Amino acid sequence: MTSIRRELLFWLLTGLSVAVAAAAVGTYFRARVEANELFDHQWQEMAASLTDAPFGAAPDGAAGSGTGADALVVQIWDRNGVRLYLSQPQRVLPQHAQLGFTDAHTEQGDWRVFSALAGNQVVQVAQPMHARRALAASMALRTIVPLLVMLPVVGLLIWLIIAQGFKPLERVAAAVAKRSPSLLEPLAERGLPTEVQPLVRALNELLDRLREALAAQRTFIADAAHELRTPLTAVHLQAQLAERAATDAERRAALGDLKAGLERATRLSEQLLTLAREEPGVAERAFAPVDVHALARDMIQEFAPLAAAKSIDLGLIEASGPSGAPIVSGDAEALSTLVSNLIDNALRYTPPRGRVDVAVAREGDVIVLTVRDTGPGVPAAERTRVFDRFYRGAHVDGTRERGSGLGLAIVKRIAEHHRAEIAMGDGIDGAGLSVNVRFPATAPASAGETAEAPGPLGPGRGIARSAS
Amino acid sequence: MRVLLAEDDPMIGASLRHGLRQDGFAVDWVEDGRAAELALAEGVHDALVLDLGLPRRTGLEVLGAMRKNGDTRPVLVLTARDAVADRVAGLDAGADDYVVKPFDLNELAARLRALLRRGSGRAGRLLGSGEVEIDPATREVRFKGEPVAVSPREFALLEALLTRPGVILSRAQLEDKLYGWSDSVESNAVEVHIYSLRKKLGADFIRNVRGVGWMVARAGVHR
Repeated sequence: MTSIRRELLFWLLTGLSVAVAAAAVGTYFRARVEANELFDHQWQEMAASLTDAPFGAAPDGAAGSGTGADALVVQIWDRNGVRLYLSQPQRVLPQHAQLGFTDAHTEQGDWRVFSALAGNQVVQVAQPMHARRALAASMALRTIVPLLVMLPVVGLLIWLIIAQGFKPLERVAAAVAKRSPSLLEPLAERGLPTEVQPLVRALNELLDRLREALAAQRTFIADAAHELRTPLTAVHLQAQLAERAATDAERRAALGDLKAGLERATRLSEQLLTLAREEPGVAERAFAPVDVHALARDMIQEFAPLAAAKSIDLGLIEASGPSGAPIVSGDAEALSTLVSNLIDNALRYTPPRGRVDVAVAREGDVIVLTVRDTGPGVPAAERTRVFDRFYRGAHVDGTRERGSGLGLAIVKRIAEHHRAEIAMGDGIDGAGLSVNVRFPATAPASAGETAEAPGPLGPGRGIARSAS
Repeated sequence: MRVLLAEDDPMIGASLRHGLRQDGFAVDWVEDGRAAELALAEGVHDALVLDLGLPRRTGLEVLGAMRKNGDTRPVLVLTARDAVADRVAGLDAGADDYVVKPFDLNELAARLRALLRRGSGRAGRLLGSGEVEIDPATREVRFKGEPVAVSPREFALLEALLTRPGVILSRAQLEDKLYGWSDSVESNAVEVHIYSLRKKLGADFIRNVRGVGWMVARAGVHR
């Protein structure tokens, strides 16, 4: 596992070490140049002061001072090139003198050599180069030793400072760890460094969405459980009545009621499942081109027997005007559910001998599906609320029909999924109800991401979706 | 005993009406809160079986208005919400008892009988006068200790008289106890039932006060 702290420490220390090394090298070369200049200058002065001093011939090896490896070596020649003096006879030096500064190489190493005329003699001073280098090296060393000593201290400091710097992150981590599905309060954003704040803000937004999604889910489950009690109570009572039945005729009637009760309970549970399936992010099916006209025709065929049984005139209105197949990009299965729920709803509330029209039309780029009926209609004030789950309008009182309160909620959910707009208006000849679903002719590729921000709970998010 | 049933679900309502009738109650069924209030205003029902989730006026609103008007008739609440808070809300609003959906028909009938019994100031489950004793739960009638078979309507009539012994009940009052709105009442039905009961329980058990109505003697008077 990578650790930002360890990585930072490593790279900072590496950088520092490189800097120290560079400083040492720089110091060394700088010191060497300076030492050369200094020595050379001294020698010039010295040579100048010797100019008039006469040297007699001195026996070789009589020189007194400094025989160490680093010591200066002095030679003196007369005008005829006869060596008058050699301070260290064991030294091997160039046997000739070239006036001024030269660098010489003998078998005893590199030498810095300075020769000058002093009266009638040539004076030569030579020094082994390594002496100068040693001096420069020791100067460089003196410069970097304190830095090297400081390095571990600096490392420790970096370690501690980074730790301090990461404290807010640890606090955030601890706060996140304390969150649970039942406790999703936002994290405190105050007093956080600017680098951590965007993370916490993003986390809080996620928590918000999560909380909303969970609350919606909880409400849905509570509502669903509550709604299931009603048909189950009915079934329970109907079963008891069947048990009590004294005659065959009574029993038959009771069992008939019981069957109807079971059908209702089954239908409600099916619709609950459909609604749950259409929840954003639950089951992402690929969008494909769907011919709404063909879909409407199929659904009308399916509902024809039911319509006939209620003596309702159910039909499809042919699109007029500029045509071309009304194709929308969508989930064919979900769209079938949408159309069938709308037709089912219309048939349910339209009294016998009424009429239900399904129309598919193209308005510019928009495909409009309309289901109109001659039922009791929905008062304008209730037209948005009827799309709420389990909402049953007071207007249904007149009819014996009692829906699950889910049909239109499912329609709305599917419409949202397809970025379709849904609206209610007056039905046929100003009576009854019409429901308009307006689809964008070719829904964008990302149609699945409509309606709500990407659900945090949704498995299968990001599944490739084919576009048309 | 005549009971008003306020329940908006057609299946539950139909089943309850059917079942409670089998148990000997006269049942009137309304499907919304406003209809329930109108029916209660008639004052003919002995008890109210009230669903809380009614349209127009919720069950709690009906109950609150009822208690505010000083109507003390027993109310049994049907609720789908079984959280303690919901049950407490119902009881606080003046309900005498509640059952949570889904419930058992027999249990509902038993609780209803218990409410009616308490409402009439009795602790025991038996009603009696003289040598006649009836059990509203089992719908048994005993005369001198021997079981006597009676029809449901006869039993209802007997129960109405025995619930208020010593009080004269008019034909209209007795008809109210015996028949719901949808039942057709033959003009001399009460007389027919009383004639039949007199044959089974003795001629002087039910006394006729001419021009006023019928009564049974207060318990113990004959002993």
